[in-house]
Amino acid sequence: MRALTYQGPYRVRVENKPDPIIEHPQDVVLKVTHTAICGSDLHLLHGLIADTRVGCTFGHEFMGVVEETGREVKSLRKGDRVVVPFNISCGTCFYCQRSLTALCENSNPSSDLASGVYGYSHTTGGYEGGQAEYVRVPFADVGPLKVPEDMEDEEVLFLSDILPTGYQGAEMGEIKAGETVVVFGCGPVGLFAMKSAWLMGAGRVIAVDHLPYRLAFAEQFAKVETVNFKEVGDVVLYLRELCGGRGADVCIDAVGMEAEGSTMHKMLGLAKLEAGAPTAINWCIDTVRKGGNVSIIGVYGPPWNLINIGTAMNKGLTLRMNQCNVRRYMPHLLEHIRAGRIDAKGIITHRFPLEDAAHAYHLFAQKRDNCIKCVLTPHGHA
Amino acid sequence: MQKQDMRGIGVGKGVDADPRQRPGFPMETTPEPRPGAQLPIEQQRSDYPVLMHGGRQGMPPVYGTAAPPKGLSGVLRKVAYKYPDHWARHWMMLLMADRVDSWEHNLRRVLPVAAVLVLGGLTAKWIRS
Repeated sequence: MRALTYQGPYRVRVENKPDPIIEHPQDVVLKVTHTAICGSDLHLLHGLIADTRVGCTFGHEFMGVVEETGREVKSLRKGDRVVVPFNISCGTCFYCQRSLTALCENSNPSSDLASGVYGYSHTTGGYEGGQAEYVRVPFADVGPLKVPEDMEDEEVLFLSDILPTGYQGAEMGEIKAGETVVVFGCGPVGLFAMKSAWLMGAGRVIAVDHLPYRLAFAEQFAKVETVNFKEVGDVVLYLRELCGGRGADVCIDAVGMEAEGSTMHKMLGLAKLEAGAPTAINWCIDTVRKGGNVSIIGVYGPPWNLINIGTAMNKGLTLRMNQCNVRRYMPHLLEHIRAGRIDAKGIITHRFPLEDAAHAYHLFAQKRDNCIKCVLTPHGHA
Repeated sequence: MQKQDMRGIGVGKGVDADPRQRPGFPMETTPEPRPGAQLPIEQQRSDYPVLMHGGRQGMPPVYGTAAPPKGLSGVLRKVAYKYPDHWARHWMMLLMADRVDSWEHNLRRVLPVAAVLVLGGLTAKWIRS
């Protein structure tokens, strides 16, 4: 089959690989119809996630049609169209039983950080990703969600990661009616966090970024106020003033380890003295009001970051963070899409065949051509 | 009249405004197997060399088989995985192994070309002499 493969930092290539096979009786093999490039795939591309091996295939946002089923799979048949959560979860362990499927302890031998994740280095279990013609899907009766016949692939594709992640980001902020929410980052996850904040009754949503086209997109897509941090001097003081002097009730970090805004953190990240730049977390901590909530959904790698934990402690903040427990959000968000409350496919700006995946990666990474979200179609032209 | 937000909707209005409407509330649910989950889970078997971090008790029933460790980078990875994942050296060695993996890959790609050039050069030199 054809698959995107990692060739070393900043280099990916589409090449031939062996087709996936059933390796466990609860597996299915999926024929991938649509897959997307996630902002966190760029951390892999840039060599920032430990144990990313040359030759592995990225891709944790995908959907497709069941091609082959393992002997213990009960709920899926060949030909079923499904969207797959990025977490690989057994459904029976201590964490899965409590609906914390992102923490499953039965799918990742490599670390205790998280569950297994498709195409996200050997740190999350060493699974092949979905930016390929076919992919192996373990625990097929637990994760995949059958797609209603009347819905198109692109309408539901983002149930695999970014829509639930954005929603959980807003939810972890514990937003109360009328509160002011600041979202750092106007990428796809940030956009869905903004939409979700409105659904949760936020009174005011402010988006922060430095790319004018992304701020303009957020303004139009999520109907939010926007702040370009490169145009306002001290962004923390500016935001506090914008929020009546006290600060926001809730701040959401939807940026992660490749944040702009602090030369010191960027340099320390490049020198591997910390795991990327935690600039957005520190801005969240400084911008939120005392006693407020900070929600972190941006991705950071081990082993450490320089975070203003003393400020957070003294301000009495609540910090909540996690990889998204995708499966528990899928039915709820499917209904939001169906009801027209969230236009998930509205963020797609670029579509490519799988063969052009390397080009798509570089376009997305360099924020060229007003790129917000790239979707790949491994079978058939985009 | 109620104040309106940026969307032209009354401030504080939202279908999920009540936290109990949100799927992640409460964060931890009453323990029960997820729909479709099956027990017992059979152990996945393969010849793939799985590296398990030093703090883990036993193999999980399912794991990935994307890219087996190989070469010098593979040796570094095997050493790194002897340490638990809360040790910094575990991660620093893995990051180092990633760079070595990339260098080894580049070397493997240029080696055939370099070998042809060297052999060609030596042959030409031998013919001239």
